[in-house]
Amino acid sequence: MIGGKNMNWRVAWLAALLLCLAGCATTGSEQGASTQGAAAIVDPPVRTGVPALLIAMPNSPNFVEVRKSLVSEVQKNFNIHTFTVGPETRDADLAASIQAANPVCVVLMNNATINLYRQYQTANPIAKMPPSVLLMASFVEELQSQIRRATGIAYEVPGVTAFVRLRSVITTPINRVGVIYRPVFRNFVERQKSLAAREHVEIISVSVPNDVTAAGLREALHSLANGHKVDAVWMLNDNAMVRDEEFVDDAWRAEVTEAKLPLIVGVSNFVEPSFPLGTLAVVPDHEALGLQAANLIFDLSDNDWQVESHPVELPLSVKTVVDIRLVRANFGLQPDALRHIDKALE
Amino acid sequence: MVHVFLQLDAKSSAVERTLQEHLPELAVTVFGRFRDFEEGLSNGHPDAVVSITPVLEQRGKTASLQGQRGGRSTEPYVLVSVNQPLEGSLAGKTIGVVDLLGRDGTQTFLNGLLKATDVKIKRVAKIEDLLPLLEFSAADGVVLPSSMLAWLLERTRLAIKTKELAGASVGLSAVAVLNPAVRDVVVKSFQKLDAPTKRLLGIDSWSVP
Repeated sequence: MIGGKNMNWRVAWLAALLLCLAGCATTGSEQGASTQGAAAIVDPPVRTGVPALLIAMPNSPNFVEVRKSLVSEVQKNFNIHTFTVGPETRDADLAASIQAANPVCVVLMNNATINLYRQYQTANPIAKMPPSVLLMASFVEELQSQIRRATGIAYEVPGVTAFVRLRSVITTPINRVGVIYRPVFRNFVERQKSLAAREHVEIISVSVPNDVTAAGLREALHSLANGHKVDAVWMLNDNAMVRDEEFVDDAWRAEVTEAKLPLIVGVSNFVEPSFPLGTLAVVPDHEALGLQAANLIFDLSDNDWQVESHPVELPLSVKTVVDIRLVRANFGLQPDALRHIDKALE
Repeated sequence: MVHVFLQLDAKSSAVERTLQEHLPELAVTVFGRFRDFEEGLSNGHPDAVVSITPVLEQRGKTASLQGQRGGRSTEPYVLVSVNQPLEGSLAGKTIGVVDLLGRDGTQTFLNGLLKATDVKIKRVAKIEDLLPLLEFSAADGVVLPSSMLAWLLERTRLAIKTKELAGASVGLSAVAVLNPAVRDVVVKSFQKLDAPTKRLLGIDSWSVP
């Protein structure tokens, strides 16, 4: 259907999509949106003799949601100092906030904030650094080795989580899942294979070049569907693979529709029954991420802040969005599926 | 106004929809997470609360209606692990559990279930988050009500092993009326619930304690 109304919707969809993925070169990066109009973050009153926790973060909704949950858990044990990071923030500003708060631990949210902290560490190579917890950033596992005294929680939703969720929604079997990746995702995809194997899912991965074209991507998708006979396709949150509307139409939508394969996505905007693409979106649950971060901080505190020995954790909690119309038409809906889905779209 | 906080095999929104449909005289809010429930209790001043006994007891509330299943008002909890059952001492083991009572309360609750004091706890927000703990080997085991085992086994292909926790029976869903003025309407409304809705709450009948 190429009506005017549909075209308008497509433009809006693409705008929303590009906003979601703006600057999101990986599966997990969360960018701080403009803080204009955002309510000021107010910390609980400071008490004397209580250790301090510094939270450095952009003031935008997803970060605020994680902070709210985190603070509600830890405020009894720590004084909270929140430092808002924006585009104009310099590493010296972050350094000043650390010196002022003298925290026992620093929570750093998003890649830009972590970069500032890395610059601060680089500028102070022998200074004793507080332990840090990295959240809501791309490839935290890789970042851990670049920051002194750091651990954290990966932001990318593990494939196995998505596959198990898909199984609980559709009746067609999910034993082999195809994924297409650019070289920067190689390590991430490799890590997913062993995790998925625990749930008896085999990941079939196909590498494409950094400058993959729509035709090249479609060819890779075609080989997954017809050559490897995968049961579903997992789309990584890589903006180079969804670079514009035409690219998405020509590669993803065309091939997935033709092959009638469920498509797992990591952005809820990709699930839209009036313009079908993603079957299931699996996105981070930010409130639960705050609880997980609080648990991590308590663990570190109990372990004398030995962050180096604490591996980066995987995110435990997600939310699901499902195109029920697509599922009913092509894959069969599990009897109790609707009870387990956060957002069912028809 | 009734606040509900239970760990169930369904999203809070789905439970809330069903309960509201079957309890038209009451305004029902279902909380999926402890912190939201706690905040709702402090700020929302509900007339009644539905939860399991330890949650009601933590707040000094007494059940006006006690749920039962198969003639029993409690159910055993189980310790779940992967590949082999967790036998012997649990000292130093990491055990996952849904956050029902906050950090200290949940630790005490878990210690009581496991009869141990040196267990490392991993609290999760929702029952479905226990499975990733096992999949990622982020915990040695998880503890959950025996009624939730079927859900877990349906969901995963991990080699699940279970061990019933001896003497670890926990009260099923119960209704505590906080506002005596609405006691009759609340009690009668819950007593009238049909079988599928009671099943959703993990029970098959009510008793008046």
